[in-house]
Amino acid sequence: MHFTVDREQFVQHVQNVNKAVSSRTTIPILTGIKIIAAADGVTLTGSDSDISIETFIPAEENDNQYVQVQEQGSIVLQARFFAEIVKKLPGEEIEVVVQDQFATTIRSGSVVFNLNGLDPEEYPRLPKLDDTNMFHLPQSLLKDMIRQTVFAVSAQETRPVLTGVNLESENGELICTATDSHRLALRKANLEAGSDAPDLSNIVIPGKSLNELSRLLSDDDSTVEIIITETQVMFRFPHLLFYSRLLDGKYPVTKNMIPSETKTGVELSTKELLQSLDRALLLSRETKNNVINLKTLGDGRVEINSVSSEIGKVTENIDCDKIDGEELRISFNGKNITDALKVIDSEKIHIQFTGAMSPFVVRPTDHDQMLHLFSPVRTY
Amino acid sequence: MKQEEQKLRKIIHIDMDAFFASIEQRDQPRLRNKPLVVGGSPWSRGVVATCSYEARPYGIHSAMSSYEAYRRCPEAIFIKGNMEKYREVSREIMAIFHNCTDLVEPLSLDEAYLDVTENHWNMPSATLAAKEIRRRIYQKTGLTASAGVSYNKFLAKTASDYDKPDGLTVITPDRADAFVKALSIGDFRGVGKVTKRKFDSLGIETGEDLQQLSEARLVELFHKQGHVFYRQARGIDERSVNPERERKSLGKETTLSQDLLLVQDMLPVIEELLDQVLARLKKDGIRAKCIVLKIKFADFQQITRRSTLEHPSNDRSELLEALRLLLEEGASGGDPVRLLGVTASEFYGPGEVTGGRGKVYKTVNYEQLRLF
Repeated sequence: MHFTVDREQFVQHVQNVNKAVSSRTTIPILTGIKIIAAADGVTLTGSDSDISIETFIPAEENDNQYVQVQEQGSIVLQARFFAEIVKKLPGEEIEVVVQDQFATTIRSGSVVFNLNGLDPEEYPRLPKLDDTNMFHLPQSLLKDMIRQTVFAVSAQETRPVLTGVNLESENGELICTATDSHRLALRKANLEAGSDAPDLSNIVIPGKSLNELSRLLSDDDSTVEIIITETQVMFRFPHLLFYSRLLDGKYPVTKNMIPSETKTGVELSTKELLQSLDRALLLSRETKNNVINLKTLGDGRVEINSVSSEIGKVTENIDCDKIDGEELRISFNGKNITDALKVIDSEKIHIQFTGAMSPFVVRPTDHDQMLHLFSPVRTY
Repeated sequence: MKQEEQKLRKIIHIDMDAFFASIEQRDQPRLRNKPLVVGGSPWSRGVVATCSYEARPYGIHSAMSSYEAYRRCPEAIFIKGNMEKYREVSREIMAIFHNCTDLVEPLSLDEAYLDVTENHWNMPSATLAAKEIRRRIYQKTGLTASAGVSYNKFLAKTASDYDKPDGLTVITPDRADAFVKALSIGDFRGVGKVTKRKFDSLGIETGEDLQQLSEARLVELFHKQGHVFYRQARGIDERSVNPERERKSLGKETTLSQDLLLVQDMLPVIEELLDQVLARLKKDGIRAKCIVLKIKFADFQQITRRSTLEHPSNDRSELLEALRLLLEEGASGGDPVRLLGVTASEFYGPGEVTGGRGKVYKTVNYEQLRLF
């Protein structure tokens, strides 16, 4: 194998595939990045067996020449060293040559690295996925949907299926749900009329995969194709494929957890509540329970307070736009609420309480594409 | 007040079976069905905190020295234990108790009294409530508990001990007298080594024997405690289940890895013990007005020395200075010292400057409810 590649392009692509490489893998070959040089360009692959990323640097694109392939072939190089090396090389171009026994020479400017490569035949092949269950979304929308749900996945492995975000579709709507059994985040989006609305249910993508994917998504309306099979999901970008394993197991049915009745309704500014909770958490964070108390005052305000036996206590009142229904005193994990408030981009929220010991729902007032559900904390 | 005039209470005493050891056996399959000792190492003069039921036929019990346990059963597995984990499991169990009733009086991490005369589950039968509690404990933690059900604390506690492990014993008023009569004298509350010797010398071996002694005679023998024995022997115990029982003192002690002779060698140990006590005081936001030093010498003679501070404090240097003076007073005789302990008492809460002894030692408990 022998090729010369534009350094800037190469660094960018190596960094992208390197996101999938983990040093803690149980399969030794996966500590490497696989490089394939073919007539039309260079393909790079990185994987930790949960996530796999494949990128392609075309030989030519838009009148720019990025790669010159002198001899086709493939190699696997230790990601730890290789990724650092290419980043620090001085020249405008990088030349990669593989000789016998996978001995690899990397040249740039006057610098020469000789690395021991690994046998590319040992590297697992990425699956070829069947395109039947395919749809597409604007990248910025997918990025929002991830940001607005993935924080609520469970951090504990006791119920693995809860460490992922559940995807389902219904009436041309895509619904993402994440929950750790104490809080739940739900975000909907309309699938474009043109795309064949796929029939999705119980598609659970690991939260970790989505966090990695999110870093590859752009903030514009260019689309990403999403292909779903029994065990894998693939996101297809121009010149980049992102694969993730799906989580096994039945995702809990969450639809009937969302209460319909309201005992107390409160409407207020997202930012004011967020700032108030942040202040109250300064104290309750210390006791590690993050418990915040809220009560409705008769005069259109709510009181937020928090007590920490050692440090002291904090009380403040927030003016609300509207309070209706029964009087209420409730305690909850303030950290869970602020996590959610931070991803609500709307100015105002409505909180639907159903009693001191029952779940409550936070929704933006200006659209119905999102809701956050919380179970309270019982104090005694 | 007479027992008959009051509405009969419904008291449950719950005691987890070999708590620390059962948790370890649950989490580490290799420890199952084996004699297991949780506590100090036999080679470092530690003591047994709990042992598994498999270890008990060898005569191993808690508070025995680990070396003695090793001598009795060399094939036993000794592990150090993980208090953080036990506390976590304890919280789960306490949450179940609080789900049933607000009147919960924890005695330790794995033991509590519950007054279920009125309960959140609206169960008229305390026996059914105890069954449900045991079922929930098992479902939530995979651990078994023994329960005693009766109309006062003494009988409930005695009952929970009656059929261990995994038992449920109910003492109804009509069976109480027979039950008390059959108890051995060591089963009564407040009968330790010394008291037992005294009873032995009087030929009192059972509850029935105890009933033969008049109240006057018991008071003569045991002073105030005599009244308690008199009532216990008749199955009477009016103490209520007190969910806000305040902790009166907080102490840590350690058996030294080798006997120490010099005060300067003991000081670092005292510092470490004080830091553990202070960590706990600070966590609960309280200060202590009294600090106590305990010294056990190599011949097992034990002394305590206390110092009352001018103001309640949780200041490390102030308390350490007080302890240093006590240590010089108590341990400068040159006798080898085997164990050291530090205890803080007379607590004051954050707001209290003076007066009002032992007012605040109450933390708010909380339970995160679930969506599903």
